[in-house]
Amino acid sequence: MYWQVSFLRICSTMNLVTAGALLKVTPEFPLQFVLKSSSKQAEEINRLSQYFFIAAGFILLVVVVLTFTFLYNYNEKRTAVTQRKTLSRKWEIAMIGVPSVLVVIFFILTLNTMQRVLPPVNNKTPDVVITGQQWWWQVAYPASGALAANEIHLPVKKDVLLLLRSADVVHDWWVPQFGNKMDMVPGRDNFIWLHINEPGTYYGTCSEFCGAQHAHMQIQVVAQLPAEFENWVQQQKKLQPNTLTVGAQLFLRKTCATCHRIGGTAANGMSAPDLTHIGSRKTLLAGMMRNTEANLARWISDPQKIKPGAKMPNFLLDSSEVHAIASYLYSLK
Amino acid sequence: MKVLAFDIDRDLPQAHRDRKLLRWLSTVDHKQIGKLYLLAALLFFVIGGTEALLMRTQLAVANNHFLSPEAYNQIFTMHGVTMIFFVMMPALLGLTVYFTPLMIGANEMAFPRLNAFSFWITFMGGLLLYFSFAAGGAPDAGWFNYAPLNQNNYSSNGVNYYCMGLLLAGIGSVTTAINVIVTVLTLRVKGMSLKRLPLFVWMALVNSFLIAAAMPALNAALCMLLLDRLLYANFFNVPAGGSALLWQHLFWAFGHPEVYILILPAFGIFSEVFQVFSQKKIFGYAFVAGSTVAIGLLSFGVWMHHMFAAGMGNTVNSFFAASSMLIGIPTGIKIFNWIGTMYGGSIRLRVSMLFAVAFLIEFTIGGLSGIAFSIVPIDWQMTDSYFVVAHLHYVFVGGSLFGVFSGLFYWFPKITGRMLSEKMGKWFFWLFVIGFNLTFFLQHFLGMMGMARRVYTYAEIPGYTILNLLSSAGAYLMAAAALVLFYNIYMTLKQPPLQNKDPWNAFTLEWYADAPPKKKNFVDVPVVNSRRPFFDLKNPDHPDRD
Amino acid sequence: MSLDKRTWLIGSVKRIVTSKIDRMQNKIMMRLTIGSEAIFFISLMIAYAYFWQSGHFGQAATSHLDIFKTGVFTFLLISSSFCFYRAERAHRNGKTTPMVRWLLATVLLGFVFLAGQAHEYYGLLKQHLSISSSEFGSSFYALTGFHALHVLIGLVLISILLALSVRGYLSNSGSSLLATVGIYWHFVDVVWLCVFTLIYVLPYCI
Repeated sequence: MYWQVSFLRICSTMNLVTAGALLKVTPEFPLQFVLKSSSKQAEEINRLSQYFFIAAGFILLVVVVLTFTFLYNYNEKRTAVTQRKTLSRKWEIAMIGVPSVLVVIFFILTLNTMQRVLPPVNNKTPDVVITGQQWWWQVAYPASGALAANEIHLPVKKDVLLLLRSADVVHDWWVPQFGNKMDMVPGRDNFIWLHINEPGTYYGTCSEFCGAQHAHMQIQVVAQLPAEFENWVQQQKKLQPNTLTVGAQLFLRKTCATCHRIGGTAANGMSAPDLTHIGSRKTLLAGMMRNTEANLARWISDPQKIKPGAKMPNFLLDSSEVHAIASYLYSLK
Repeated sequence: MKVLAFDIDRDLPQAHRDRKLLRWLSTVDHKQIGKLYLLAALLFFVIGGTEALLMRTQLAVANNHFLSPEAYNQIFTMHGVTMIFFVMMPALLGLTVYFTPLMIGANEMAFPRLNAFSFWITFMGGLLLYFSFAAGGAPDAGWFNYAPLNQNNYSSNGVNYYCMGLLLAGIGSVTTAINVIVTVLTLRVKGMSLKRLPLFVWMALVNSFLIAAAMPALNAALCMLLLDRLLYANFFNVPAGGSALLWQHLFWAFGHPEVYILILPAFGIFSEVFQVFSQKKIFGYAFVAGSTVAIGLLSFGVWMHHMFAAGMGNTVNSFFAASSMLIGIPTGIKIFNWIGTMYGGSIRLRVSMLFAVAFLIEFTIGGLSGIAFSIVPIDWQMTDSYFVVAHLHYVFVGGSLFGVFSGLFYWFPKITGRMLSEKMGKWFFWLFVIGFNLTFFLQHFLGMMGMARRVYTYAEIPGYTILNLLSSAGAYLMAAAALVLFYNIYMTLKQPPLQNKDPWNAFTLEWYADAPPKKKNFVDVPVVNSRRPFFDLKNPDHPDRD
Repeated sequence: MSLDKRTWLIGSVKRIVTSKIDRMQNKIMMRLTIGSEAIFFISLMIAYAYFWQSGHFGQAATSHLDIFKTGVFTFLLISSSFCFYRAERAHRNGKTTPMVRWLLATVLLGFVFLAGQAHEYYGLLKQHLSISSSEFGSSFYALTGFHALHVLIGLVLISILLALSVRGYLSNSGSSLLATVGIYWHFVDVVWLCVFTLIYVLPYCI
């Protein structure tokens, strides 16, 4: 629709004005707009949204026009008290009839769209298991056994079944251009279907308030052609060699490995993001910082300053230790 | 329970003989308690408004560090809880206990002492909630306080104070509600059948039933949560076998009726204001009253539309989609009743009426975005985003708060005997309405651009900063408007009282009493023959006939 | 007690309400109150039922709880309701002495019920079933505990009635106090019957 495109254009021009000379620690993201459908599900929902906006706009128009007409026509300056008129009874029937008809129409549309967006799962194995945690996403691919964190790769032009779980509090999966969101409720398995139309990177965010760092729980979905996606999965499955660099040694010795996993090494913790291929990711901390060695070092040296409330404590490392660990992690492509 | 007889002539003067400040503490007069409610609401309005400004300041630019995440989370939680339970509830209940007896020609509430109890326990609840700041941090899990975020290991001690504060306020609301119902059922003046009840009283009556039926669900949930937090019970502690969804069910079984609890008294105020300022009877009295009852009944069957994205399955969701859409019909009927009331009238655009007209449009916007959330797929898309923030403020502010403002300007001459300045009132109105739309209309777009609600900051995304900045500017406009209102009230109270006790040429019995009413409201009450008894009295040649 | 305070009290007691409208107000008020309280208990019962499946409540209830002992105490609570009913009837007929006796019986039976519940709690705690040990513990103690609280409130109310009637202040049969408290007391009984059925009886039926 034309107005959507022009709206997007205005927004991006505005951004040129506002993006100042801030330290480029924080990443910038392109605008996501719900009415831009990037998946089959979003197309279904947005078709219904458009019908709704038309009906709602019509009703609002009627209310506004009637209100202002009456305000003008029956202002005390124009009408004397004695000239009072009343609407006929027919209007009472109309004001019940019209909304009732609209309700019936939209209820039927709702049922149809619901069925198409979220058909029954019927015990199908999920393609991806995404677990929300305070405040990052764990991603597992049951078919291949690959593990990742925060950057979620998915194949395009294919029906993908996502199993959504939570490890602690209620989180919520929402990538605006993919359409429907779904809560991740601890103790429950929730599913959504996704059929992405085009390759590209899509952004979303945790949408259920989940504690101190709810704001920094961004979703990044990298949608790839099926072949590329397969390559990526194979790459993720690759293990890292056991190296004897100072950074690798420190990683094990300073108890990082209790919570983090680096496949192939002795680091096996599962309660924090998997770091096996952290060097290949674009951002750190669920979209909070650009992934650079300097930013990794900044994070490791004082996590609570960067992301207050995060589960990682300050290990009181000196700066050479910090840089050794950061450079080791950054090398894990 | 009434054990001892209450006699206004004997008991009220006794309470009034006390020294000045003590008189406010010991009063059992429904008018003075009504004023206490309004003053308490004003106090918390200033606090809650300041919190809103802090939030909007933090969100004015991307990656802001004005507030820490923890501070922001406490402040948005407190803003929500304060505005709902300690501003809107007391303001609307205050107007209810002030005007219900006056409008039905009674001299007191059915249980005057219980009335005082209700106010003070509600007020104590508010104080207890705010004590949390001094006791290790305010609640920080949002106003609906989802499990398991509300458990000890995920949130601050403040959640204990949230539970206790809301329990007290909840008990206060239930006792007020019961008091109002009994008053309306037993103390109506002769001739005032239920069919002739002023619409404000109709709404207050239905509303009281809603309060009495909805609050206990919240109270039960709060008790369970307190047991969880203080005695380590396992209701909502998921790893120990508790349930995250049980809280959501119980909370919204209360929470959705609560939304109507906040809007029905405002509907009542508008129903009076539209009649008086159009100098015309309401269009479709039976429809307004009947649709209120319908809303009241339906409101208990819609709570799961807050949980469409919780994965309850399509069958359950479609049932609640149907009931939620249905509730739009009686609400829509009301909008057209009010518009129909204006048709053919003689409209006086005083501040009170301005707020009523603005309400028609703002509430239609809020109502339509509300219907969007009953359409399950659109809810899946838009819920928990800034679109919801926009929607709920359009109904809470554009609906309930505008109702309070409209009622304030309408009834101020009755409460104080003095007229608020219309000129300053218009400044207040335009500043507030422009600020309000600037703040919240833009948030619809922020929601559509993927901004989740309750984030303490946001990344640099094209359009976010400019829209948020404008939204914050709107918040400051509203604050400026509020200052104009306070100044208006202050200046008006310094004026000498009016001689005219009926400045609006109104229709209902409260205007028959003195302005401000005497301790005993009515020395003699006219026999009521229609829905507009005071109108009949002023126009003996052509009285109403219904 | 100072002299004028005493005269104030006696003066007030003379004002105990008897008019028709006061009676009506009291009764409507109490019916609304129990309606509201009923929803509170329904919420707690829903919580109990909600956890039933996941928490193996049936098994827990049959193994931990003694349906016969509690059944006897249930019978006593119901008898107290009956005693109260007799007190109300005596009051309506203006017979003060039987009224005092029946009220006394009501209070005693109520206290015996509470003592029985305390005994049951003691036994359960000795079996290490506490409010924090499982969902069953949480739901069980919350539901029965809040009911016990309501019994206690009822007993306080009835004790006040008893004191008033011993002093002879309730000799006027037009007073609505007994009828009003009665609505509450019978409600507490009915709630217990529901709770008893849900917690003690149903596990044997399912």
